[in-house]
Amino acid sequence: MSDIVTTFELEELSLVEKPEKKKPLGPLFWICVFWIVLNIVGAIFANVLPLQNPLYQDYAAINAGPSLHHLFGTDDIGRDIFSRIVFGSRVSITVGFGSMLIGFGIGSPLGMLAAYRRGRFDAIVTTFMYILLAFPAIIATIAVLSFWTPRSVFKIIIVIGLASVPLVYRVIRTATLSIATKDYVVAAKVQGATDRRILMKELLPNIAPIGISFLLIGVATVIALEGTLAFLGLSVVVPTPSWGNMINESRTVLQQNPWLAIFPSLALCLFLLGLNFIGDRLRSHFDVTEVKL
Amino acid sequence: MSDVNEKLLVVSDLSTTFATAGGPLPAVANVSFDLNRNETVGIVGESGSGKTVLSRTIMGLQPRTNVTVTGSVLLNGNEMVGAPESFKRGLWGTEVAMVFQDPMTSLNPVMRIGKQIDETLRVRLGMSKPDAKARAIELLELVGIPSPKQRYDAFPGQLSGGMRQRVVIAIALACSPKLLMADEPTTGLDVTIQAQILNLLDELKERLHMSVVLVTHDLGVVATRTSRIIVMYAGRIVEIGSTRDVFTNHRMPYTRALLESSPKVSNASHTRLITIPGRPPNLLKLTEGCSFAPRCAYATDQCHQDRPELRPADQPGHSFACWNPLPVTRGELAS
Amino acid sequence: MTDTTQPLLKVRDLKVTFGKGHHEVSAVAGVSFDVYEGETLGLVGESGCGKSTTGKALMRIVEPSSGTIELGGTDLTKLKRGGKQLRNIRTHMQMIFQDPISSLNPRRRVKDIVAEPIDCWKTVTGHDRDVLVSDLLSKVGIDPAVYGNRYARQFSGGQCQRISIARSLAMRPKLLICDEMVSALDVSVQAQILNLLEDLKAEYGLTLLFIAHDLAVVKNVSDRVAVMYLGKICEIGPADALYEAPAHPYTEFLLGAALEADPDSPMHSQVLEGEPPSPMNPPSGCRFRTRCPNATDLCASDEPQPQEIAPGHQVACHFPLSVTRK
Repeated sequence: MSDIVTTFELEELSLVEKPEKKKPLGPLFWICVFWIVLNIVGAIFANVLPLQNPLYQDYAAINAGPSLHHLFGTDDIGRDIFSRIVFGSRVSITVGFGSMLIGFGIGSPLGMLAAYRRGRFDAIVTTFMYILLAFPAIIATIAVLSFWTPRSVFKIIIVIGLASVPLVYRVIRTATLSIATKDYVVAAKVQGATDRRILMKELLPNIAPIGISFLLIGVATVIALEGTLAFLGLSVVVPTPSWGNMINESRTVLQQNPWLAIFPSLALCLFLLGLNFIGDRLRSHFDVTEVKL
Repeated sequence: MSDVNEKLLVVSDLSTTFATAGGPLPAVANVSFDLNRNETVGIVGESGSGKTVLSRTIMGLQPRTNVTVTGSVLLNGNEMVGAPESFKRGLWGTEVAMVFQDPMTSLNPVMRIGKQIDETLRVRLGMSKPDAKARAIELLELVGIPSPKQRYDAFPGQLSGGMRQRVVIAIALACSPKLLMADEPTTGLDVTIQAQILNLLDELKERLHMSVVLVTHDLGVVATRTSRIIVMYAGRIVEIGSTRDVFTNHRMPYTRALLESSPKVSNASHTRLITIPGRPPNLLKLTEGCSFAPRCAYATDQCHQDRPELRPADQPGHSFACWNPLPVTRGELAS
Repeated sequence: MTDTTQPLLKVRDLKVTFGKGHHEVSAVAGVSFDVYEGETLGLVGESGCGKSTTGKALMRIVEPSSGTIELGGTDLTKLKRGGKQLRNIRTHMQMIFQDPISSLNPRRRVKDIVAEPIDCWKTVTGHDRDVLVSDLLSKVGIDPAVYGNRYARQFSGGQCQRISIARSLAMRPKLLICDEMVSALDVSVQAQILNLLEDLKAEYGLTLLFIAHDLAVVKNVSDRVAVMYLGKICEIGPADALYEAPAHPYTEFLLGAALEADPDSPMHSQVLEGEPPSPMNPPSGCRFRTRCPNATDLCASDEPQPQEIAPGHQVACHFPLSVTRK
C-alpha cells in the first residue's frame, strides 16, 4: 500500500557548504619568520653592510661595553662583538642548513623508497641505519673532526650532515610507512600509476609538511651542536667568528666582559627559538588528519 | 513478578550541550522518557543523532568540562544530573552498568580477564580474593565462556571479538546492576556472533531481572528484542512507542525513511532502495523548525518555522514529533 | 542482460597463503568461480573467511600463491609483478575500498583525484579531459563546478565513496570489485550509494564483484551470490534462490542470524554455536564440520567438492539441504 509518495530519491542537496578555514599561523609566527630572514640576510650580505671589521683588533677598546661605536661592545682583544655576531651567523647558518641539506638529501629519498618498496631493500638499509643510529652521533662527530684537520666550514658540514642521515632516514621512513599503506596509494597503483608517479604525487605531498618542520628543527639542533663543538675547540678555526666560538672564548673573561657571553648566546637562543617555533607551527598548520562526519 | 510501583529510570527534559570552538553544540535536547523494571528499550538513530551522548549522560559519564547538562535523570530514585562524582561512582556497577561497542578498548589489554572481573567485585562489593575469584569464574560461565577456569587467566588479546564482548558483559553484570546500558554492543561483530551475544543478553536479562537500554543504529537489532523504541534525530526524540507501533504504525516520516532505506533479506534482489537525500544536520547550525524538515518530502512552511513537540498518537504510549505525520496505517509494514 | 556464453572472469583454484612453516595461514584455500559479463556476483561471509583477500588477490594487491585468474582470456597470475602488461590490464579492473576517507589523498583536489587514471595513461588531454572529469563527477552526484576544486578531506564518508566511484570509472573498466564499500557508511547513505551503483552499472555496462558481510546488502545488489567460510566457497547460486532455500547448513545459519528489521520475523532459536576455527589449523575434510549439526565421519575424512544441485546452484556439502523444501 504505497499511495503515499515515499521516493525521496533526489541528488544530495547539502554537500560541503564552506571552503575550508585553515588554522591561522598567528602574528608570532610571522615575527619569527621575520627574525630568521633577517639573520639570513645579514649573513649573506655581511660584507656590504656597514659593520666594523670583525678581525680588527682595537687595543684601545678592550672589553668595552656597548657604545655607539661598538654596539655590543668589544671582546678581550678589541674586536667588535656586533660585527662578529653578524659574520659569525654565517658559520652557524651555513652549517645548520648545509648539513641538513645533506642529511635530507640522502636520508629522505632512501627513507621514502624503503618504506614504499619494503622487501629486501628496506630490510638491508634499515638494519644498516639502525646500527648507525646506535652510535652516539656526537661522539662520532667529535672523533672525526678531531682528526680531519685543518677544519673548515665545509668539512664540518659534511661530517654533521652524514651523521644526521640515519635519523632523517628513520623519521622519513616512519612517516612514509603510515601513508604508503593507505588505500589511496593502493588505489593509485591499481589505476596503473608508475612508482615514480606515486612517490611524487601521492607520497611526497603528504610527507613534505612533516619533512619541512623536522628540517627546521634539525637546523636548530645542528646550530646548537656547532656551539657544542666550538666549546671543545672543534669548530672553525679562530679568528673566524662563529657564535659557538665566541661563547667559548667568553669563558675565560666572563668576569670582566659578560657581554661577550651574553650577546652571542642571545643571538643563538633567539635564532633557535625562532626556528623551533616556525617548525612546530608549520607542522600543526598542515595537519590534515581531522576526521569529517 | 516485576515491581511496577517505582519506575527504574525517569529522564525528564534532559539536555546535554557541549561548548565548542564553533559555539554551543546541543548534542541532546529535551529528552524525556522512562523505563520500567525488566523492560528493554531500544534507542535508534544514525551518527550524530545524539544516542551515544544520551546514554552516557544518563550514566553520568559525560566529560566534566565544557559540558552543560540540564534536566533530570532519576535512576532508582537517585538524581544523576549534577551529582558529585563520588556519588555517581557509588551507583556505577551496582545500580547501572554499561557495555560499550569495542570490547578491545573496554578491556585492559595487559591485565588478565579474571583479574578485571575480580577488581570490580573486590572494590564494589568488598569480596575477599578467593570469593571474588570463585564468583568471577561463575560469571564467566554465566556469559557462556567455555572452560571458564582456564580462561580466567587469559589476556583479552587471546580471545576472539565475541568472547571479549562476553567478558565485558560479565564485568558489567558482576555486581548485579538493575539497569544495563548497551551502546552498540554488537556492531563490528560477525552476524552469527551478534546473534549469540544478543541471545545471551536476552537470557541474562530474564535471569537477573534487569532492564536493558539498547542503543544502536541497526533496526534489526531492536526489532525482536525490545518492547519499546525511541527514535532520535539531531539530538531529539522524534518518535517513541512500543516496538510494534514504531515499526508498523509509525507517523514520523524520518522513522519510515529509516526503516525503508535499509535493504532487507526478505526483499528480492535488485529492489530499489528508498533513500533520504542529504545528510544529518550540523548541530552547530540548527535552523528553526523541525531539524528533519530540510530533508523531508512532506515539509511545509510550518515545519520550517516551528519545531514540533511530541504529541500522542492513537496508540497508548506512542508519540511523535511532526506537523504532517504519515496517515495511520493498519498493521502491516508499509513497503 | 547477462551474457552467459563466456565468463568475463574465470577464477580456478585460487589460493593465497601468508606466512611460512608453522605459522602458515591459508587465507584463501582453493576458490573457483566465474563472473559473467554484465552480472553482479556477491561474495559474502564473516570475518576471516577470505573474501576480501580474494578481491585483493584478483587485483594482485596481494599475490596469489597458486591458481589462475583469467580476465577476458588473459591469465593475470602469469603476468610479471610490476610489469607493463599487468599495468595495462589494470585499466580493465578497478577496486573500491572499504574506508572512504583513506581512499582519497587528503591533500589533492577532487578533480585531480578523479582525473588521475586519465593522466596516468594520457588517454584524453586538455579540454576533453576536463569535460570527462566533470561528467564523471556529475554522474555520481557531485557538482563539479561547486565542489570540483575542493580538497578530498572536506567531504563526508558517503561523498568520498562517490568520488572513489567516479575515479574508478574514469578508464571505463569492465570489472569493478567493491570491497565492503558501504560497510563504513550510515544506513541512509548506504542506500544512496547502492542505488547509485545500480544506476552506474546499467549506464556503463559494468560487471561487479560485490564483497560484503551484510547479507541484506549483498542480496540487494547481486544476481548471484557465493558464500565463503574459512577460505572456501560453500555455496554459490542465484541470489533469490539461494536466500530462499539455502543448500549449505552454514548459509542457513547465516541467514537465520541476519537481523531483520521486522518485529514479526521468526526468532531463529537455532543459533550457530561456537567460534570459527583458526585458519592456521583448519579442520580436516569439510571445514564447517566442527559447528555443523549434520556432520558425520565422512565430513571429517573427505572434503566435499562442489556439486550442482539446481541449475546454476552449486554447493560443497556431503549432505546438502533440500532446495525444494520451501
